[in-house]
Amino acid sequence: MLRDITLGQYYPAESWIHRLDPRVKIIGSLLYIISLFLVKSFWGFGIALLYLAVVTALSTVPLRFMMRGLKPIFILILFTFVLNLFMTSGDVLWQWRFLRITRQGIYNACFMAIRLVFLILGSSLLTLTTKPITLTDGLEKLLSPFRKIGLPAHELAMMMTIALRFIPTLMDETDKIMKAQQARGADFETGNIVRRAKSLVPLLVPLFISAFRIAQDLAMAMEARCYRGGESRTRLHEMKFRSADVLASVLLVLYLAAVILIGRVL
Amino acid sequence: MESLIRTEHLTFEYTREEESLKIVACDDISLEIPEGSFLAVVGKNGSGKSTLAKNMNGLLLPTGGVCYVAGYDTKNEETIWNVRQTAGMVFQNPDNQLVSSVVEDDVAFGPENLGIAPEEIRRRVDDALTRVHMYDERLKAPHLLSGGQKQRIAIAGVVAMKPRCIILDEPTAMLDPQGRDEVMDIILRFHSEGITIVLITHFMEEAAKADRVLVYDAGRIVMDGTPEEVFSREEEIRSYSLSVPFPIKLVGRLRNRGASLPDGLITDERLADYIVRNRKNLRAPGKAPYRDEEIVFERKSGKPLISVEHLVHIYNENLPYETRAVDDVSFSVAAGSFVGIIGHTGSGKSTLIQELNGILKPKSGRILVDGVDVTDPKTSLRDIRKKVGLVFQYPEYQLFEETVEKDIAFGPKNLGLPEEEIGERVKEALRLVGLDYDEVASRSPFELSGGQKRRVAIAGVIAMRPKVLILDEPTAGLDPQSKRAVLGMIDNLRSEEGMTILLVSHNMGDIGILADRVLVMDRGKLALEGTPEEVFARVETMRSLRLGLPPAAEFRDVLTKKLAEADPESLARFEALGRGTTLTLWQAEDLLVSWLNGEAETSRISDAASPEGGER
Repeated sequence: MLRDITLGQYYPAESWIHRLDPRVKIIGSLLYIISLFLVKSFWGFGIALLYLAVVTALSTVPLRFMMRGLKPIFILILFTFVLNLFMTSGDVLWQWRFLRITRQGIYNACFMAIRLVFLILGSSLLTLTTKPITLTDGLEKLLSPFRKIGLPAHELAMMMTIALRFIPTLMDETDKIMKAQQARGADFETGNIVRRAKSLVPLLVPLFISAFRIAQDLAMAMEARCYRGGESRTRLHEMKFRSADVLASVLLVLYLAAVILIGRVL
Repeated sequence: MESLIRTEHLTFEYTREEESLKIVACDDISLEIPEGSFLAVVGKNGSGKSTLAKNMNGLLLPTGGVCYVAGYDTKNEETIWNVRQTAGMVFQNPDNQLVSSVVEDDVAFGPENLGIAPEEIRRRVDDALTRVHMYDERLKAPHLLSGGQKQRIAIAGVVAMKPRCIILDEPTAMLDPQGRDEVMDIILRFHSEGITIVLITHFMEEAAKADRVLVYDAGRIVMDGTPEEVFSREEEIRSYSLSVPFPIKLVGRLRNRGASLPDGLITDERLADYIVRNRKNLRAPGKAPYRDEEIVFERKSGKPLISVEHLVHIYNENLPYETRAVDDVSFSVAAGSFVGIIGHTGSGKSTLIQELNGILKPKSGRILVDGVDVTDPKTSLRDIRKKVGLVFQYPEYQLFEETVEKDIAFGPKNLGLPEEEIGERVKEALRLVGLDYDEVASRSPFELSGGQKRRVAIAGVIAMRPKVLILDEPTAGLDPQSKRAVLGMIDNLRSEEGMTILLVSHNMGDIGILADRVLVMDRGKLALEGTPEEVFARVETMRSLRLGLPPAAEFRDVLTKKLAEADPESLARFEALGRGTTLTLWQAEDLLVSWLNGEAETSRISDAASPEGGER
């Protein structure tokens, strides 16, 4: 059934990383990603790997859960690898017609592949250890200073909250309409592209109508519950910066310093 | 008592754009709702009762007149939040009113909007969730909960704002009987705690629990009084396309037979109590109407058209949350018969009917429909569609074409039929669902009323001329009159067109009257199977499955229990008159008239025999 698909890939646990303030985790992930682009040598990746390993161990997320995140972008990694392998100019090691592999090519290909893998693993740690709704709250808090320059931080967060809430509902709805049209002989699976696109009309029209009806109902329900935007709104879960968050921030700064230093020295 | 909500000449008009038709949803309404009262509002679809409710918490503003909530004028923008906090509102669709993907965050939404301190929000959320018995589910995602649970969360979300009044707009319309009971229990509890309740409903049994009932029709209050007063005027209620609770119907029938019964016997308990207490002098001089006529239900049986053998369906096989939705189910259905399928949500009914239609393929087992093996992967879906038509719940949500005609033609077109035949079938299908071709065929399906849309959607399946028609809750959310019309239409398809009907329903009364056979599903298994008489005679089993009984059987059960305490001998005479079970109003009438006349006779004889005589 469609409703079993969960958005993001939260791994429920009570680890030290799970309990960190989402703001620390968001900024930490951002800095980690930046650090990957500051790295100039394989030594730097060594530090990054160490950091990743420590955080993963602390998060208690099993390794196979982490690896699952790589599956969908495996093709992309492979493509980047091959492209770098053949398209970098330099000392030719092997050549066949227009295809040639250079020493620099091998270096670049490995470098880029490692960078991508680390990038995915690092950022998936964020979604694995933070509930989507907490993540949304964190983003709202982080973006709120930018409200002064017209960034609708609260509205964006509210949109994300509602999206998270209604994706399963709309999936269900899609499932129901699809089945109902199939019972009337609709065929979504065979035929060429034009036919298939056409066959989506009986699915999409009711789905859009449904989405509008949900939006209307929800807007009415929110208004009835005194919703009036982000002004003077309080929260059930107030975010508090605890000692663990301070410690995490210090470690983060140390890591970043190490990466930059190693980049300079080696 | 102080009025919490007061309207003075409240008028609300709007224009329907498609037809530039002016609609008056509230027509000069002056109404006072005292604090602490429980008001039920009933009225047919489109009578404007929802609009009235939305005026009561400022979601809509009157176009004429005034509405005061706790003294605040709803038109005053500065106090609108006080109005909405005082009179919280719960809506019909449990899904479309929850904001957050975590239960407790959703309940906190209202208090957060009011700017309450986090510690106080925490207290209120925990308290509200405990009071609706959902505290243990506080960290779950709403989409994984049942309809009844979602509706309770919606109520908790309102309660956490500490309202003085809760307005509920058909909160049980989309729930199964179990969910309905859960929600009604919660509503009654909050009422007993002093919160004012305004309940809009299509269920007369729910309205009977209020302390005041308004009947709303075409924007006006046409009846207003205690449930006893309002429901005693059966004729008048019917003239507004509504129905009355079962006990009132029975009282009406017994009065016609000459029994003198007082007004106000609106619940099974009260009526049974009165009858048991007055059984000796409550004679109904009229003859028992059907006793001698030997009216027996004609239960169709014959050559099996559908045979299902050892059907098994498993979701998420080999995963930790594996569920056996259909577990070794076997049965057969006679050609031309009407089969009722009952079972609470999650019992496997939906999976079963989707397998009958070939949309889902079973793990193992076989389904034969008129010689076609539905479960065989080689059987083309087109061949299955010609045999089995399936109408899903709320089928109007699948309409998509520009005109009614095109929409109904969608199915036949997919069967690859020639144009002329498609046209013919569309006409025939419209006739069968009781709609006029010339009037609706070229209109957009989205312009039609709720009941009409549903008929069009059913026509879209009938136009494929299936031998078997399966309908999942075809009357859900309709008002009493539309409900009767749709059921009549379905019964016609069986009797006039010879279609075999499988009806999934939560309404035991409908099943009791219409079905030849009943299948009861429970946790994937076929728990009971038989004629309605056989199935509904198993009162205890049905109760343990949380399914309930037809209203007549329910009443008989209440009466039997009271009589067993008061006079076991009389009970024996009662049981002897009506063996088995009572499924319909006329059966109940017949049984009671025979028994009451017998009781009067018995007491006369015993009075004459005893030397002291009776106290005449």
